[in-house]
Amino acid sequence: MNNITDIASYALEELKKAGADKASCSTAKARKDEFNVEANKFTLLRTLFDDSLSLKALVGGRKGVLVVNKLDKDSIDEAVAGCIELAKSATPDDAEDIAPLISNQNFDQTIGGMDKAKLFTRSSEYLEQVKDEFPKIILEGFVSEFNGSESAYVNSNGVCFESGTENYGYTTMFTAKDGDKSSSFNYTGALMANLDGPFMNADPLHRQQLEESVKSLDTRMVDGKFTGEIIVTPTCPDLWQALNDCFLGDRALIEGTSQWKDALDTVVADSRLTIRTVPLSPDIVGGQRYTSDGFISEDMDIIKDGVLKSFMIGLYAANKTGKPRAKNTASNFEISPGDVSVADMIKDVSRGILLNRFSGGSPSSSGEISGVAKNSFLIENGKVTDAISETMVSFNVLDALKNITAISKERNKNGYNILPWVGFNGITISGK
Amino acid sequence: MLQDFITAHKSTFSDHTELRAQVNTSQRVVLLAGNMAANAQSSEGGVSARVYRGGLWGFASGAEYSPDSVKNVVSAATENAVFMDNQVKKGDPPLPSLGSGSVGLKTPVFDPVPQSYLIDYAKTLDDIITRKYNNLASRTVVANFLGMEKRLVVSDGVDSHLFQPRSSILVFLTAENNEGVPIELFESFSMFGKFDELYPDPKLLEEKLDELYKTLMDQRDAVYARAGVSKCILHPDLAGMLAHEAVGHTVEADLVLGGSVAGYNLDKQVASELVTMVDYAHTYDGKAAPLPVYVDDEGTPAEDAMLIEKGVLRGFMHNRDSANHFGVKPQGNARAFEFSDEPLIRMRNTAILPGKDKLDDLIASVDDGYFLVKTGNGQADSTGEFMFSVNVAYEIKKGKLGKAVRETTISGVAFDMLKTVDMVSDDMSWNISGFCGKKQAMTTGMGGPALRCDINIGGR
Repeated sequence: MNNITDIASYALEELKKAGADKASCSTAKARKDEFNVEANKFTLLRTLFDDSLSLKALVGGRKGVLVVNKLDKDSIDEAVAGCIELAKSATPDDAEDIAPLISNQNFDQTIGGMDKAKLFTRSSEYLEQVKDEFPKIILEGFVSEFNGSESAYVNSNGVCFESGTENYGYTTMFTAKDGDKSSSFNYTGALMANLDGPFMNADPLHRQQLEESVKSLDTRMVDGKFTGEIIVTPTCPDLWQALNDCFLGDRALIEGTSQWKDALDTVVADSRLTIRTVPLSPDIVGGQRYTSDGFISEDMDIIKDGVLKSFMIGLYAANKTGKPRAKNTASNFEISPGDVSVADMIKDVSRGILLNRFSGGSPSSSGEISGVAKNSFLIENGKVTDAISETMVSFNVLDALKNITAISKERNKNGYNILPWVGFNGITISGK
Repeated sequence: MLQDFITAHKSTFSDHTELRAQVNTSQRVVLLAGNMAANAQSSEGGVSARVYRGGLWGFASGAEYSPDSVKNVVSAATENAVFMDNQVKKGDPPLPSLGSGSVGLKTPVFDPVPQSYLIDYAKTLDDIITRKYNNLASRTVVANFLGMEKRLVVSDGVDSHLFQPRSSILVFLTAENNEGVPIELFESFSMFGKFDELYPDPKLLEEKLDELYKTLMDQRDAVYARAGVSKCILHPDLAGMLAHEAVGHTVEADLVLGGSVAGYNLDKQVASELVTMVDYAHTYDGKAAPLPVYVDDEGTPAEDAMLIEKGVLRGFMHNRDSANHFGVKPQGNARAFEFSDEPLIRMRNTAILPGKDKLDDLIASVDDGYFLVKTGNGQADSTGEFMFSVNVAYEIKKGKLGKAVRETTISGVAFDMLKTVDMVSDDMSWNISGFCGKKQAMTTGMGGPALRCDINIGGR
């Protein structure tokens, strides 16, 4: 057996023969090639070949999940036996299920394989550009990569998906250094369907980030404490992900601790805010095509015009809570643009922060969050002034969503997300 | 146990080569409000090779582990090293020799306990929680096991066979505060070894759970912290996080080369004379360290790394490359998490050493400040600026503990903050739960005593 769908189908049949009432099986073969750079110098070329077999069996409503990275027959047979044993040891739960058959599809996001020489050339070009344009920047770690995988999903309801995915990407982490001064580190990354353009251009805000790091060699601390405005830039997507983690995801809904557990179809944010997860968008590279539960992924509204339209829960949590299942489980956020320019947003701020990176934890169940403003700048009387350090911002995420001052008409696209600049007021900002 | 398909290939190495077979085995049971949300196992392994040529590395890995696949992986890694050497033309000489030798298993490899043991344990713990504690909005119990077995042969250095088992339990309790808003606290138990031997009876955790519940109830009436700099006592658990995040990462040599502020401070006073910090390899205070490392994944015999001695920054943590760059001896900090990962500079058991004061005396010495007890997570920067969330804290008024403080965040610059340390307790608390993230995940140990210092607190 070499074909991964055949392998998945074999494992599925063996699970059924071994006693599974319902079962699903995912298989994948993946290849990754990456060039690594440390302190502005190439260090490593890395090539990985990996396999994956993920089995789920339901026996009398009892679930077992077993994952191995071997696809030979003996390993599959052993994994099947182990998965059934796991299921038999579990507690029965009527909420456990697998996706029904709706329609079977093949998904092709391949790009014709890897061009290793071109990946190296683009990587070298990026290093040269950084060296020439930003001599004070040190690339702590830069990784450029090609990712390719073929995967299959089958389940005992007859669902069968095949998918091929290939793309390029990079992550870069950098610091400015001048004499005995260092800036805070910053980072970014992008995904690309081809190598037609320089890495430097793949995330349109990257040059600005590098410039800001150099400016951040000299910082100013905020005096005391004040209540002001923050403009969250597209380079700071963590706040949007935190909504999923704390208020919309499986755990918060099953435990009933989400402040939004009864808020579906009610107003939770300013009416200008629309947040979607959009794995199918042409601006997203390698987006999810089917969920791990076996449903075809669709783009979906999380918040539309300020109204909560969907949770981000899988099939089990949906069955457990009686709430609707999410149409995808991806984290590719798109926020609809506003009608003001970033420049005009800044002009309207009397005292606040341009928040480029937030170093903090997740919000508590109450929505309270505080953290350090990193790679960020003070806004005073409508102008961006000094880079800041040791400055904390504290606010309640749920309150802040209702205190949006503006959303920019410009948006940044990096293959992962499509995000504008979003302003919030009523934020506690404190220095020493 | 992993079969040895790699030693036979050692004689075929042409360039400097590291060849590693590895398997990571995990078990996970999650009870969300009594519902079994996860009941899973995994076993993922394979073989990888890393080849050094002219100052550059080629690496390759494959999931298949057989005599043939080992040969193919060495060949692919060599091809990658040749590609890099031809393209970059760095032309560096070979790395200084480490000599040779071998270290066998210090911890025998064992099979994971049956999954039913973890399930029964988690369910009994969940029953205890629901039976004993009122006013809970929800609870989560997690039982985890991770076993990491590695075989390593190197053309220069020490061959090794290592097994690192870690068994963990996490308990999250949630209650509503007096405003009807959910508040959540957690306790983690994590130790090196076999699950059933470390956790023979859920009742043995009751005392710790009682404390967690009491703390949660205290939090229902919690007040906001006063934003700004205050005199604080850091609980030993928090000091361990400080050692890891705020100082440890800045003294990893790859980050030093990347611009970390520690690079300018070698042999300078960066902390109070009361502060000594060490990254222990495998032994602390005459006993096995919480996560012992005897040989790293480059074949370097592991030794303790003195980082800060009586307040003076004495050294960095290295791999062979960075040790060669700085002209020092590598001490075994190059570690890889999965079979397909290359070794990176990682901490092992990083701790601030205990002092001579008593924790009660530290608290009694503060007229108006805070006792910061538990942290959920932390991050640090190349500047040494750090941030920790603090989810359990108490006011200190006139030397006595006062009201509980709402979840908040503390921040500072490590080398500034450590200079304000003026009392160090004689406690020592180790923690090996969680994972450190740095391109790859990694298990690490962190430890410390209670510290008295000045620190910036976020608040309202």
